[in-house]
Amino acid sequence: MNTFAVIKPLFKYKKIAYYSVCLNNDEHTIYDAFVKTQTALNKNKLYHILKWLQLLGQKYGAQNRFFRNEAKFSDTSALPPIGKDRKPHYVEHGKNKDNNLRLYCFRANENVVFLYSGGLKTTQKAQNCPNVKEHFILANQLTKAIDEAFKNKDITWNENCTLINCEDNFKLYYK
Amino acid sequence: MIFPQENSLDNWLDANANPEIDKFLERNLAITEKVNAVLKQRGIKKGEFAKMLGKKPSEITKWLTGLHNLTLKSITKMEVALNIDLLNLEPAYIYLGSVPGGSKDLPNAIVKYEDTYYSNAV
Repeated sequence: MNTFAVIKPLFKYKKIAYYSVCLNNDEHTIYDAFVKTQTALNKNKLYHILKWLQLLGQKYGAQNRFFRNEAKFSDTSALPPIGKDRKPHYVEHGKNKDNNLRLYCFRANENVVFLYSGGLKTTQKAQNCPNVKEHFILANQLTKAIDEAFKNKDITWNENCTLINCEDNFKLYYK
Repeated sequence: MIFPQENSLDNWLDANANPEIDKFLERNLAITEKVNAVLKQRGIKKGEFAKMLGKKPSEITKWLTGLHNLTLKSITKMEVALNIDLLNLEPAYIYLGSVPGGSKDLPNAIVKYEDTYYSNAV
């Protein structure tokens, strides 16, 4: 079944512009739904990821080393970066803990990042986790579709590749 | 494509503020960035840096990729080896130069000031 997504700008910082998508005719982006759900369920872990997004946006840009590779059939990433001892640590009761909350995303370049959805990952492989499997597959499908749209010039870059443009009614078909 | 006027990420972080996580993330990022930038600027390879610290290259790779939980001792070792300060990274002042609109335009100038990267500053 073909379904479609519409690209929405989320927020913009000095170094990164963040985008997300609305699925079908949904008013809210999948990132907004993720934040709403995880605010109720895992606020501290979510804070860790969102603060990271803010700092990258304000100071450092979306450098590759800040993202966790989550590619299955497209160039999908996730936050936080790999390893419980990798900075930034998620600290719980004074000890470094693995922040197993995943926010899937697509780092288009160092200035443009698409944020999708995610959840608490409970197994080693995302494909086997009932919480994130759906988000992981969706993220890979969307990334593949966005990549195709770049190739077909349905999505274009601005002059210095810091922002993207597409028609307001552009539908991103994915499957 | 037009971004919303309100930044929902900033709003969420303000509403759920956790200064401890904020400071922790800011410091970790700043330390790693500064060491990487100094090594790059001085052309010091990681193997060479390992020798300077009397450590194995694999251990330094861990330190610099963030796979190691840096202790105060290891931070101090790097500070001494590179003759830099890693614990006081934030400048006390930011020089904005001449702000055309005076104090009225100050908030805008603060947002738009040009960064001086560590690699240029050392």
